Amino acid sequence: MKHRRRTAAWQLNLLLFPSALILALFIIYPALYSVYMSFTNEALVGPSARNPSLVGFRNYLRLFGDAEFWNALYVTLVFVVGSAIIGQFVLGLASALALTRRIRFRSLFSVFILLPNAAPEVVAGFMWISMLAGGDNATLSRIVMFFGITPPDWLQVFPLWMIIIVNTWRGIATAMILLSAGLSTIPQDVLEAARIDGARPFQIFRRITLPLMLPTIVLYMLISAVSTIAVFGLIYTLTRGGPGGATELVSIYIYNQSFTAFQLGYGAAVSVIVLLISMAIGIAYVRMMAVKV
Amino acid sequence: MPTALSSARRRQRHGHSFLSYSTLLLISVFCIVPFFWIFLSSFDGDAQLFLHWPQQWTFDNYTRVFTVEDGGLWLFNSLFIVGCATILVVVLAGFGGYALSRSRAWWKLPFLYGILLIRVLPPTALVVPLYTILLTLNNWESAILRPIFGGLTRDIMRWTGFIDGYLGIILVLAAMQLPLALWIMKTFFDSVSPEYEEAAIIDGASLVQRIRYVLIPLALPGLAAAGLFSFIFAWGDFLMPLIFLSSPELQTLPLGLFRAFLRVNEIDYGLLAAISIIYLLPPAAAFVFARRFLVATFTGGVKG
Repeated sequence: MKHRRRTAAWQLNLLLFPSALILALFIIYPALYSVYMSFTNEALVGPSARNPSLVGFRNYLRLFGDAEFWNALYVTLVFVVGSAIIGQFVLGLASALALTRRIRFRSLFSVFILLPNAAPEVVAGFMWISMLAGGDNATLSRIVMFFGITPPDWLQVFPLWMIIIVNTWRGIATAMILLSAGLSTIPQDVLEAARIDGARPFQIFRRITLPLMLPTIVLYMLISAVSTIAVFGLIYTLTRGGPGGATELVSIYIYNQSFTAFQLGYGAAVSVIVLLISMAIGIAYVRMMAVKV
Repeated sequence: MPTALSSARRRQRHGHSFLSYSTLLLISVFCIVPFFWIFLSSFDGDAQLFLHWPQQWTFDNYTRVFTVEDGGLWLFNSLFIVGCATILVVVLAGFGGYALSRSRAWWKLPFLYGILLIRVLPPTALVVPLYTILLTLNNWESAILRPIFGGLTRDIMRWTGFIDGYLGIILVLAAMQLPLALWIMKTFFDSVSPEYEEAAIIDGASLVQRIRYVLIPLALPGLAAAGLFSFIFAWGDFLMPLIFLSSPELQTLPLGLFRAFLRVNEIDYGLLAAISIIYLLPPAAAFVFARRFLVATFTGGVKG
């Protein structure tokens, strides 16, 4: 018996090995290699493309003095807070709460809300170009003109607001799904008891629903913060970071520095900073999940 | 008095469902309005950047996807690359998830934490080192193949190259989806009782037989969920093809769409809208199938 179990353990290791190898080769090694690269002047073109050399902390010194880098970090922070923490959360919670009621067309509503999440990044960006660009002919312009408001050139005047709205639009479904799952764990008899005691709906929400939902909400915030840091294609197809860096998320900044300006070493230094921020959020996430592992 | 109270409550409840309907209606409108333009334009003989009701309805845009532009090629490349990546992920995650669920080894817990942490790393931050690593691998491969195959090397590298080759992009896309898929399969196998296998072991079945006749049939729903999500996320990804593919014959749907849109003065909106609809349909269909798996997945992993 003991012999058989030992063979089984050996077989299990073998089954896991290919996955471990792929993860090590394509994710863990690159993550570690980015630290090394960030200390070199590696480039895609020019003399340093042939013979990259170690340059010490030069990339980091440049990075901390680079207004564009701080701008990208600031834009990303506003973007994450605006779209993931506030926009998607509020609309996702509203739809999750509304869907708990006995309502007709439930599945139709949830399909509509899911649709933006199913759209590939490029298609979504493409659709929003038609919504926002094109002056008075843009769909949003015509909607506000219907209400008698003179439309501005959305992507020029409110670029950061616009990408927050676009990303909110794309992620309502994720928030709704996660928060619905949290809502369904709240015992119905507690809500019923509060109702019989004469609690008003808002009180029930404030004093019972929200506190019981808190773990789910924190989990959602962590998950959606890290995945929003990674957003690239949606905003890149819409604005490519412009105008004048107003929507240059840190992911777009990495891309521009590395593959447009060809400075891989500097791009790696920015990547290391982003990896560290994500890891910090990730560790909080793992600690929350620890109970369930 | 009781009647007054209950009628007040009824009125209140009525007010709630009105509130719920209007909330859902507003959010739904917000969600679907951007789709109108792309949908109408794809059937419009005279499509423009802005939304308007088609004067002449036509299927012409769709047929031109396959005759005028290289839409057929883009579609094939996307299907081939994402299809291979999805199959690879399903196979690896099926085996790996099983091992993770059944193993009692010391590395089990660190490995699981590791998967969660890896899932958190943004691909945008990994892409720079990944590019350098794959470029080095690609140069090695080419240095080995060139003396042997000479002029044929480029044709072979188109399939096996790490940069601008099918193999490289398939492996990269698979690696990005693997952590979530492993997590889904691990949680799935946790819920499958080991008794089935023990019965098979007693009957003298080997590991291969156990996998073939016991585990795969039991694991099908889990494999379906892992496969659907890998497909949806890999299909919608724009960054990886943008970085790792450049030659026209490897162009995929997201790249083709993006580049066609950059040709500012000669944009054929009807055609692009038709391609967008074709590009949009597979993940939308996959989402419909995947809906019942959504909750478990989004709480367990991280959304894509």
